[in-house]
Amino acid sequence: MHRLLLIGAALCLVACPVTGEAQDLRVPASVIAGDDATISTAGSGKATFYLLGPGVSRKSEVNLGEEIRLRGQELRNAGDYLVLVCTETCHSGTFYVIAAKPASFAFLVHPSRVPVGLGDAVSGVAFPFDQFHNLVLAPVTVTFQLTAGDKSLFSKQVRTQNGVAWFRTASGKSAGLLQVVASLDDLSAKRAVQQVASDPCNLRITGQRIPNGILVQTEPVHDCAGNVVPDGTIVTFSATEANGKSTVDAPIKQGIARAQIEASGATVVSVASGVVMGNELRMEAKP
Amino acid sequence: MSSMIKSAATFRQGLRFVTAFALLLGGAVSSSAADSAVQVQLDTKKSSPRAVESLTEHGIVRDYRFAWTSMAQALELNTLDPLEGTFAGDAKQLLHDTVVSQQHSGLSRQYLNQNHRLEAVFYAPEGDVMELQDTAEYELRISDGGKIVHEEHVVMHFLVLMTPGADRWVIRRLQAMPQS
Repeated sequence: MHRLLLIGAALCLVACPVTGEAQDLRVPASVIAGDDATISTAGSGKATFYLLGPGVSRKSEVNLGEEIRLRGQELRNAGDYLVLVCTETCHSGTFYVIAAKPASFAFLVHPSRVPVGLGDAVSGVAFPFDQFHNLVLAPVTVTFQLTAGDKSLFSKQVRTQNGVAWFRTASGKSAGLLQVVASLDDLSAKRAVQQVASDPCNLRITGQRIPNGILVQTEPVHDCAGNVVPDGTIVTFSATEANGKSTVDAPIKQGIARAQIEASGATVVSVASGVVMGNELRMEAKP
Repeated sequence: MSSMIKSAATFRQGLRFVTAFALLLGGAVSSSAADSAVQVQLDTKKSSPRAVESLTEHGIVRDYRFAWTSMAQALELNTLDPLEGTFAGDAKQLLHDTVVSQQHSGLSRQYLNQNHRLEAVFYAPEGDVMELQDTAEYELRISDGGKIVHEEHVVMHFLVLMTPGADRWVIRRLQAMPQS
């Protein structure tokens, strides 16, 4: 009988799977992304270890009672991780990987082109990310600065909430490049917005008879803040005679729009650009 | 020899076609079945600085539900196809890595009886990005080579960044938040 037991035990040493008892499983409460971590187990024998998290799914054999080392490389993604240690039964634990310190920004600024003097016209949104592209959820202070030339137009410090900071402000008074900068410690992201003249203001025309009609032209076209309206902006001239009406669209070139209108009788010429009307010009009939 | 290679190639091509058809059929059936099992509610009352329009709200619910259906399918079947079109950027890369990692380890995850309570917490002034928080409840099942090794009811909080695409909202970031 004793001999049989010994033979049975010897056979089992060769063929029976060695299973252990995982009595206790200790996982860290949280780990910073990219850092190494350890998990401690109690008991003895071999067990199957599973690590499941964002971007990782690992299975390996471990010895119970020994520490399980998790490399920082497999803990790069922020989020919840599940640990399983299985023998005949499985024991589980979870831990959270926190984003590391900010290493870059996603910075969205709108619009890319804006008329001057418009309220709430420029806005920006910043999302800080760590070196592993995890959104940093811990509050950090982002500074937004808007400058036109060497003149500061806006500066505001905003604390992130749920990983986002944003601003909204009016556009400046002068046409030209608007620099928008978001900064956090030694990190910064720059964007540019082109400020352009607003609608024309005090649109005025002059005209003269020429052999085959009337030559009309605007005075230099500016917006109400004095910015030159960009070349290519369309100005519409309308000529009304006793026998009908004709319309000519002309682009502004070097601040002035010109048009030649065929008209021989008494004519009234009016001008408009966008929603803005200019003065009327009354021309006598051709002598 | 060359005819053997040719017939093997034809066989492989046929097999590929049958497999693709089976996947398509299976995918379509399980997609509609899984889709109906994913419950999504959206609360937009706290959305700022921009309010969420009704049509946008419907689009978010529809696309978020579809995204989780696709993700569940990808992580259960260990295939990348369902991730196309619903995820972009980091979110897509992360799920890609997860699927590839599962393919190597032989593990798979199932998300069953999903219930998502979404809350829009930030909607950018120009409407080009929305941040949402999701309180998700589901049964998580982990399988190793087809054998279930773990099953539990999970309540998780996710932070979600969605941006409008050409015809849908796509998920750019899906990050679990610390449990409060």
